[in-house]
Amino acid sequence: MSRLKDLQKNLFGGTTSNARQFGMIFTLVAIVLIFQVWTNGLTLRSDNLIALFQQNSYILILAIGMLMVIVAGHIDLSVGSVAAFAGILVAKSMTEWDLPWPVAILFGLAIGAIIGAWQGFWVAYVGVPAFIVTLAGMLLFRGGNQFIGNANTIPVPEGFREIGSGFLPEFGPNTGYNNATLLLGLAAAVAVVWRELRARNTRRAMDADPAPMWVSILRMAIMVGVIAFATLRFASGRVGTSFPISGIILLVLVIAYSFYTRNTAGGRHIYAVGGNSRAAELSGVKLKRVNFFVMMNMSVLAALAGMIFVARSAASGPQDGNGWELDAIAAVFIGGAAVAGGIGTISGSIVGGLVMAVLNNGLQLEGVGTDKVQIIKGLVLLLAVAIDVYNKSQGRFSIIGSLMRPFRRDDPAAPVSPPDAEREPAKAAVSG
Amino acid sequence: MRKFFGTSVVAISAAAMLALAGCGSGRDGDSGSSGEAAKGFAANSLIGVALPAKTSENWVLAGDLFTNGLKEAGFQGDVQYAGASTTVADQQAQITAMVTKGAKVIVIGATDAAQLSTQVAAAHAAGVKVIAYDRLITNTPDLDYYVAFDNFKVGQLQGQALLDGMKAKKPNGPYNIELFSGSPDDNNAGVFFDGAMSVLKPAIDKGDVVVASGQKDVKQTAIQGWKAEGAQARMDQLLTSTYGSKELDGVLSPNDTLARAILTSVKGAGKPTPIVTGQDSEVESVKSIVAGEQYMTINKDTRNLVKETINMVKALQAGNTPQVNDTKSYNNGSKVVDTFLLPPVAVTKANAAEAYANDPKLAPLTK
Repeated sequence: MSRLKDLQKNLFGGTTSNARQFGMIFTLVAIVLIFQVWTNGLTLRSDNLIALFQQNSYILILAIGMLMVIVAGHIDLSVGSVAAFAGILVAKSMTEWDLPWPVAILFGLAIGAIIGAWQGFWVAYVGVPAFIVTLAGMLLFRGGNQFIGNANTIPVPEGFREIGSGFLPEFGPNTGYNNATLLLGLAAAVAVVWRELRARNTRRAMDADPAPMWVSILRMAIMVGVIAFATLRFASGRVGTSFPISGIILLVLVIAYSFYTRNTAGGRHIYAVGGNSRAAELSGVKLKRVNFFVMMNMSVLAALAGMIFVARSAASGPQDGNGWELDAIAAVFIGGAAVAGGIGTISGSIVGGLVMAVLNNGLQLEGVGTDKVQIIKGLVLLLAVAIDVYNKSQGRFSIIGSLMRPFRRDDPAAPVSPPDAEREPAKAAVSG
Repeated sequence: MRKFFGTSVVAISAAAMLALAGCGSGRDGDSGSSGEAAKGFAANSLIGVALPAKTSENWVLAGDLFTNGLKEAGFQGDVQYAGASTTVADQQAQITAMVTKGAKVIVIGATDAAQLSTQVAAAHAAGVKVIAYDRLITNTPDLDYYVAFDNFKVGQLQGQALLDGMKAKKPNGPYNIELFSGSPDDNNAGVFFDGAMSVLKPAIDKGDVVVASGQKDVKQTAIQGWKAEGAQARMDQLLTSTYGSKELDGVLSPNDTLARAILTSVKGAGKPTPIVTGQDSEVESVKSIVAGEQYMTINKDTRNLVKETINMVKALQAGNTPQVNDTKSYNNGSKVVDTFLLPPVAVTKANAAEAYANDPKLAPLTK
């Protein structure tokens, strides 16, 4: 096997889901680089990166929950309203009932859980389609927000604002960087290397061929390089700014939910239900429980997203949450989920959300008005999905198809390879 | 083996991190200290202008005036509107982007006056001067200046015009009126309403003027987002619930968009046209006033307001303190903001030609 083939097969190819993220990430990197050049380096400047994460963490948190809802074959239109409803109650609980802010956060999550249980009950146990239940919820909780807040804007205390606008603290010796962010980056780098080496050991223990050592090293070098680059960017922001706390919340959620959806029985049940609910039920999956869980989970995350937005805005307002459901749904579909359910990954949705976020941010840095930004975002969403659908129906090789394939779990486990003239005909024959 | 494994993990990652750390540039430090700001900034600097969604002609006009005015003054202008549905989040992102791009002054027409303090703080920390345009940004100690029309006066003029108009039409009361106010998240809406009530309240207490529906509280009268359809729906309901047999003499409307919606509702119900107030001198309303439908509007010449704002920017550029005429009244919850107030003018059919004589768009309508 030539070195090139080794690289093709092992660097980002192969069959491990970890390696399959390459396509979408490639798109994201391309967009970042285009804007980096277009904005004369503003896009990757530390203050802009920090702002980008702060501005979008709440949408990305919604995308995690929305992915699970969509994979299960439902949709949730109420997330924006639920976020606003939880946000106003949490703001009121602190300013009028004097709840300390950590208690208020728990209170907000509890509200999310109660709303989620309400919506989950109608979807799972009564059998009303989620589209209808959450359309009703959208009206219900938007009205609830206006009713409770009298359509006023209610400010929140300083401590609470940290979850939306706070940063990792400054401590330790003056290294010219934010030490907490450096430690976080180091931990991430160690985790990446540890995972790679452990995967090699596992494969060896299973008597499988591990990837050639030099490919592993290259892969580790690339990932550690990216982490180191990001770490230094976040750590070198203006003194007092560093990696945002909302970003940490997002990271923890992404890791936890990725593990849940990929490696646990409960998580796999969601895919089973979305793929074929009758078959799943007959194989012993508790359909109602899964549906109830995804709807409830979505509302808890929506409440969290609402609180983060309120914290960042320093106040809860009557327009909070307007249009969030659409941003979250767009992120999930750009990230390769299927409308019919059963297909999609958390990391794909996050990357899909980041594609939208970078697009939004880059266009704003260029001074493009929101009217045009909306047009462009709409077209990107439509084209990303349309080209894929078209090429699949034609049975042709599609770049986007191969980019998205990592996220299609029903595909036969054909090895994914970068577009390559030599291999293209064979590929077309396989997928046709 | 196990030991080698653990060691190599740490060694490889640490080596890679260090290698990259070597290329880093260190942190930015405190950019833009106040000392630098006192000396002004380059004459061709970037000036950011963040305006709300294009829901009224006024904001569109202001945007055009800022674009042209800043260009004439030699600045690079970056004028942005919030999107129609995700207004607050858009504006937050736009202001942050302006700071990133290195704007020296950011003028903000806030879409929600209380939800921008994080962004204003970030701008302040980066040495950017922030001017609140038309709407006072609340709960932030980092706002530098506020420029606006005297909005309490606007309300007073509206209240007085409503009383005068009804008296001219029907010499003796009691008069039945209804009250409308603007979006509750707009700091100005309450100020307009309070100004108007300062004139109307004595008449209501005397019994000369009756709010027939009984809805006098600002929470009952508010129209979320200054949306025309909201005002029209509320007026429809008031006509059905209260004015089956009674006659409606006047409506206090905080602006022209709502005034026209109210008139549409009244016309749709087939009732005689009441005295309706307005504000902003929108084209359709000026036509309506000349045609004898809407009774009055307020001329807050956006040209003057934009001109004053650009004068402030020029003063800051030269390193001077901008001119203000009110350093006491506008407390935003964290500090008293230095303010430049411009006087509003009440316009009815009687003085329309005179009031709009200098306005190229409105003057022809009054002839």
